[in-house]
Amino acid sequence: MSSIEERRRLFAKYKEDVKTRGKPFFPNAMFHDTVMSLVVVSIIIGLAIIWHETANGTTAGLLGKEYDAKADSGTFSFVPRPDWYFYFLFYLLRIFKWPDSVILGTVGVPTICLVLLLAVPFVDKRTERRLSRRPVAIVASILVVISMGVLTWKGATATESLASENVKKVPTWIKRNKLPPAAVPGANLFAQIGCLNCHSYLGTGGGYSGAPDLSAEGSKGKGIAFQIAHLKNPASVNAGSPMPSFATLGDQRLHQLAVFLEASKGGK
Amino acid sequence: MAVARPPRSRRKQMEAIALYPLDWLEERSGLVGAVKYFLFRKVPGDTNWFQTLGSATLTAFLVQAITGVILAMYYTPDPNSAYESIKHITNDVTLGWLVRGMHRWGASVFIILMFFHMARVFLFGAYKYPRELNWIIGVLLLVLGMLEGFTGYLLPWDQTAYWATVVGINLNGTGPIIGPFLSSVLRGGSEIGPDTLARFYSIHMLVLPAAIMGLIGLHLYLVIRLGVTSPPWSKKAAGAPWIEEDEPEQPARKGLVEPTPRGGAAK
Repeated sequence: MSSIEERRRLFAKYKEDVKTRGKPFFPNAMFHDTVMSLVVVSIIIGLAIIWHETANGTTAGLLGKEYDAKADSGTFSFVPRPDWYFYFLFYLLRIFKWPDSVILGTVGVPTICLVLLLAVPFVDKRTERRLSRRPVAIVASILVVISMGVLTWKGATATESLASENVKKVPTWIKRNKLPPAAVPGANLFAQIGCLNCHSYLGTGGGYSGAPDLSAEGSKGKGIAFQIAHLKNPASVNAGSPMPSFATLGDQRLHQLAVFLEASKGGK
Repeated sequence: MAVARPPRSRRKQMEAIALYPLDWLEERSGLVGAVKYFLFRKVPGDTNWFQTLGSATLTAFLVQAITGVILAMYYTPDPNSAYESIKHITNDVTLGWLVRGMHRWGASVFIILMFFHMARVFLFGAYKYPRELNWIIGVLLLVLGMLEGFTGYLLPWDQTAYWATVVGINLNGTGPIIGPFLSSVLRGGSEIGPDTLARFYSIHMLVLPAAIMGLIGLHLYLVIRLGVTSPPWSKKAAGAPWIEEDEPEQPARKGLVEPTPRGGAAK
């Protein structure tokens, strides 16, 4: 750590050095900036062209669909997938499990990272800028790049479970969880309406958001009424729950789901 | 009272006429001087290509601003017609697909460039005294840029947009104390609906861009005021404590030393 006098002296020297030995911004540096800007615009145009040329509306191309089906709060065949640059944040949620430590993933870790980032110039008050003399900075940046890279990669490659694939698992669920016939309609519903995009059930599903495993939901003894109330408005019985409301399913289907969940005892 | 004018050549007269608007502007605003100062200010002689990442980020932002203005001319922030207006832009409007594609992918490029630019500043140690404030402004710009991504994602009003935002807002709600309040402000009620879309649209194209533009202005002002950092590995880095103070600038004893052969060292 250098004293403020030392840092002031060095900045005065910087100003003097630039005055005596520097070169004007125009034309050299400005030329570099202009070339780089043209490259950036070309890349953006290139991506737009590749996107449009290989995709067709809701048919995905090299860079995905141009648009998905219209938003519909009544259907649940959705995958809550954020844009790729949020994967690292989203995937954190799978490390911290609901409900005990999810707050660490949604608020804790991002806040700590942000505070650390803002604190960088106040923690590192040395005047040294050569990388070979800044081992802490090097290790920190390598760790940040690796962890963000791994989280982004994990988020990008997380498998999405298709409703048609999930339905094929229902017979296995009936066998392993010894589901009574009354629970079968609920099981089919559960497999198709998107529950498995967040929750897992006997090894299927999981998605991005690290929602609890529901294989043994019935052994918690919460009861049908609780399950229905929870599906209608998760946050009303489970404060702060990030799960969306499924009230639009209607009473009959909500009841079927609740029966299925209560009959799920964890495959024992 | 005729003051004798010095005779002027035709060329000088033409120059005076051409420069008159600039002189007029300079006399009333000082803007010409400001631009001259910006263009001809000295920067260290050893700046390199890594240091173009900042202006590259600015370019990506400008692409977002321009394509965003065009998209706003065709987009309708209403749940009943938002999706159709996106389809209309993509399929019917002349070059609409290009403008939308540039906005969609320009967002990714903008965010990547912000991270690259930040990595450059970090590895060059360019956040150090007296540039701490500019680092903080940069971090704020990064956060605001990410929020632009979050709010823009909902606007196409398709399934992906809708459900990612439902979960995104709900995750916000898990935050302590202000979490649930923030969620209901973002939603504009207890459900995602017309109010949410209008709210996100307004935040996306008015609130955040205004904040970002203001901070970019401040960011650039500080860059110009404090100067650009030399690469740390440079042999002639400006103001570097690790470089010997005394450089033999000019061999002062000219004439006393033997003339050196071409390409040879002076000493």
